[in-house]
Amino acid sequence: MKTILSLLAISFASSVFAANELPDRQTELPAVKKAMDTDYLQPRSLDQVPETEFGKMVKLGYSLFVDSQQMRGEFVGNDQNCVNCHMQAGQKANAAPLWAAYSAYPAYRKKNDKVNSYAERIQGCFTYSMNGVPPTYDSEEIKALSAYSYWMMMGGLMDRHGMKGQAVPEVSAKHLQAGAKGADFPFPDKITKAFPVEDRSSLKGRGYPKLAQPEQTPSIERGSDVYSAYCSTCHSADGQGIRGNDGRSYIPPLWGASAYNWGAGMHRINTAAYFIYENMPLGKSATLTKQQAWDVAAYVNSHERPQDPRFKGDLQENRDKYHNHQGYYGQETNGKLLGKDSYPSATVDGQ
Amino acid sequence: MLKRLPVLMFGALLASPSAFAQDMPPTAAVCSGCHGQNGWGLANVAPMLAGLDAGYLSQQIDLFLTGKRKDPIMTAMSATVSDPAIRKQVSEYYASLPAPKVAKPEQRGDRVSFTSAAEKLAYQGDWDRNIPACATCHGPSGVGVDHFPRLAGQQEYYLAKQLNDWKQGKRSGDPLNMMSHIAVQLTTDEIKGLAGFFSTLPSGGQ
Repeated sequence: MKTILSLLAISFASSVFAANELPDRQTELPAVKKAMDTDYLQPRSLDQVPETEFGKMVKLGYSLFVDSQQMRGEFVGNDQNCVNCHMQAGQKANAAPLWAAYSAYPAYRKKNDKVNSYAERIQGCFTYSMNGVPPTYDSEEIKALSAYSYWMMMGGLMDRHGMKGQAVPEVSAKHLQAGAKGADFPFPDKITKAFPVEDRSSLKGRGYPKLAQPEQTPSIERGSDVYSAYCSTCHSADGQGIRGNDGRSYIPPLWGASAYNWGAGMHRINTAAYFIYENMPLGKSATLTKQQAWDVAAYVNSHERPQDPRFKGDLQENRDKYHNHQGYYGQETNGKLLGKDSYPSATVDGQ
Repeated sequence: MLKRLPVLMFGALLASPSAFAQDMPPTAAVCSGCHGQNGWGLANVAPMLAGLDAGYLSQQIDLFLTGKRKDPIMTAMSATVSDPAIRKQVSEYYASLPAPKVAKPEQRGDRVSFTSAAEKLAYQGDWDRNIPACATCHGPSGVGVDHFPRLAGQQEYYLAKQLNDWKQGKRSGDPLNMMSHIAVQLTTDEIKGLAGFFSTLPSGGQ
């Protein structure tokens, strides 16, 4: 635990934090109405990543993103890979693409009166979705993931604005970590004009498309049937996904000790419903009805999982402070108080 | 045939000491004629069964029996192992046989760019057509993961035929029609390329 705090202290040297508090970076994933056209930013093919030091960083970012289990035990504490929730290696519109997130940071959050950089947002993913401990702000991993995201955004913008065939300019580590929303972010002139700061947090295809509130309140019971019919083939009846003979997880668990924790965005019923409706079953977008997506999101998130890393011993207090949204944390569900018997968080070596 | 089996098996054991995880049950002998003593199949005749998941194998027999998979020989042969106890025994036996080893299975993310279109499909898919990477479910180098069958080292003709059968609606019964959904989007060249790629893994033999 001490290591996390000192790492965080370095990351947040410029901001004020209570010494024993994890930063609340888990702002709800922005959900926007799905654009009906398909005019999404199109990242360049990975074949175009140059053979330079910068290109190597981009490639490392891709590799860490797709096979995050490389970082298991060091930074990743569960069976998740980034690509499990960000389809097509973070390239796919409406599947929380990295290029759309990248241009939306740094982002100001009213709640804690703090500006979060892109690197800090990714660190949050390690703490929550990956149930681990984030690499430091200046680590190779954070720079690589930022570089991969930047490369996709910039290549897509350059192609869109008549700069096809030109190499994506290299930017400093400081800019890479910050994200592209800052007024001082080094865009080619043409793009600065066409893509002003106020447009940068709303690229089409960002996040998961929002669904209208369901006609019927999401039901865990109905969701259980949906799960059996559509999800259990891959995620298993017990929600633990599928492991290969090599012991690695190939289909991610959705609850239990090796799933995302109670602080991850996906534990919110609405975020999970948006994700599921648009992206599941894999390769069969919008197979479920919207009501089914809501119901199965409720079912999946009605199971115990690793504890919210911000939890300090008082479940009700943690719920009141961080869980004023659609989720079952701190609620009694099927006779069990969720969050009471949670699995450990930050399950990396040496913790 | 049965009398000769012990001799054949003895020969196979000499050649490959680890080839048999258990003795072949008499009920499984009927399969070995085409699928091979080692379960590795026969080019242009029968697929490799070795290393496939027992539940998957059993389900395929069921699909032949119910007509969701169609093959004149297999429909008839499936009837010989239709008894649940026999089916279980046969499935478990072939599942226990070792498939050719892939020395270092390739994970998604190990390579960033690809010169072969088939390999790109295998590891990155083509999401413009909602085709996930094959390795997502079939595992690194397609070695198979649980009930997602092994593709590595599978007979080339068989891989191509299955994809074509799904594409043409001649094979069904897979969970959520996942594979027919994917196969209808594959071109003839892609099917050829994928069958060629996976069948030659591992390239170095056992």
